[in-house]
Amino acid sequence: MQLKKRKPMRKLRNVGTPLAAATCALLGQAAPRTVDAQELAPWDFDTSFLIYSEADGRVQDLSLNGIARKELREDSFLNLTFALDSLTGASPSGAAPSNVVQTFTSPSGNASYTAGAVNPVLDSTFHDQRIAASGSWQWPVTRLTLMDVGASISNEYDYTHLGVDAKVARDFNNRNTTLSFGVALASDTVDPVGGAPVPLAPMLGLGNMASKRGDDSKDVTDFLIGVTQVVNRKTIVQLNYSLSNSDGYLNDPYKILSVVDAVTGSPVPGPAGSGLYRYLYEGRPDSREKQSLFGLVKHDFDGNVLEASLRYMTDDWGVDSQTLDVHYRWGLKDGRYLQPHVRYYSQTAADFYHTVLFDGRPVPQFASADYRLGEFDAITLGLKYGMPTKKGEWSARLEWYQQTGNADPAARVGVLTNLDLYPDLNALIAQVSYKFGRR
Amino acid sequence: MTGIRRRLAVCAALAAAGAALGGCAGVEPWQRDVLARPDMQLVADPLEAAADEHIYFSKEASSGGQGFGGGGCGCN
Repeated sequence: MQLKKRKPMRKLRNVGTPLAAATCALLGQAAPRTVDAQELAPWDFDTSFLIYSEADGRVQDLSLNGIARKELREDSFLNLTFALDSLTGASPSGAAPSNVVQTFTSPSGNASYTAGAVNPVLDSTFHDQRIAASGSWQWPVTRLTLMDVGASISNEYDYTHLGVDAKVARDFNNRNTTLSFGVALASDTVDPVGGAPVPLAPMLGLGNMASKRGDDSKDVTDFLIGVTQVVNRKTIVQLNYSLSNSDGYLNDPYKILSVVDAVTGSPVPGPAGSGLYRYLYEGRPDSREKQSLFGLVKHDFDGNVLEASLRYMTDDWGVDSQTLDVHYRWGLKDGRYLQPHVRYYSQTAADFYHTVLFDGRPVPQFASADYRLGEFDAITLGLKYGMPTKKGEWSARLEWYQQTGNADPAARVGVLTNLDLYPDLNALIAQVSYKFGRR
Repeated sequence: MTGIRRRLAVCAALAAAGAALGGCAGVEPWQRDVLARPDMQLVADPLEAAADEHIYFSKEASSGGQGFGGGGCGCN
């Protein structure tokens, strides 16, 4: 629900028309046609440049983003978004560090990379560009019901996304309560460098593509129902339940697992003639159902705004997570503001998360060593400064994000006992935004 | 079956919450001066929200909540 100053004006205008007609009747003149005095807003724009930078030579992302918004008629808006990302750096492959130098075949199958003894295994061949765009149109279906339909597309070197969504929101209770329902459908194609690996197939030597196949796809369906409630003149709350179903190829095609000796923890020899130790491509289930409950409260303290939200998520992969997110907008002179931000996130590991697999034991049906499916806590601390301009706003924020996780305790055998099996992730987020075109 | 029951329970809880919250109505249209401010909108800065959603979707196993969590990116 968008709360706008204009709402009360509509009542005044409705009173004005019969009043004008009555006046004209008294004066013996024809009543003029209703004149819509409400001037539609011109286009307004949000633009930003973002740098996301992980420490230790990991992922770097430079991102340009924009939103253009136009009021087509009262309560009817067109929204267009655009994003361009450029990613470089190295990404953890999932393989465990070891006390020996390890060599890996790059995803293309044409090159190899190595990880020094005791060092984390980072795939340095990772780089990508992503371009994304979306459009949505919102219009009033009835006086109290807003409809919103949209479509989105994005393209990366190895991934294409197509999506559509629709949302309907109905006001009740003198517009103090809004119930909304939405559905989003996505159909994504993954076309990894070198082909999508067969789940849990072994990494092979240079030029041997027997573990790879062509492209693959997944479909995602999201449902969302929510209620928004105006509590009092300064407080609004929101409560959402969402359900997300994914089906298809849900692996990260570039993630692998190490197979190690169950006693010594050392890597074991891989396929004959490959010159590699034994690594398996990850294999996740081909479906996932996520449910989440999200609650938000927003309160104005005489010009300072507190926004706090909680999210609880659970899925059928065994991941449960909690997220607490708090922003406090502290108003300064002349419309300027400072906004501290704290976010805390905690998740349990997926049932099939394994830091390593052990040689001589049956390969599980599903397995992944992707750190994002492990057990970890994350914290974000940030500060934003904003300054109004004649028709918009400048703002800049700087945030620090840290993930601290725990490896699977079963992996602590032999040489792995003293190695860092779950390195911390530290990242800086810097974003500069400029909004303009506002009345 | 358990999943369906759980979803029904959540829907019932949402409906109950909506009904309960409905009881605290009383803000008239002409009293919306504070709630109509841009900084009091549910998503006050859409680009910041989108950037955060994209980052956390790429680095964590959860997504969505306030909006759809589908992602549309190969980063997870």
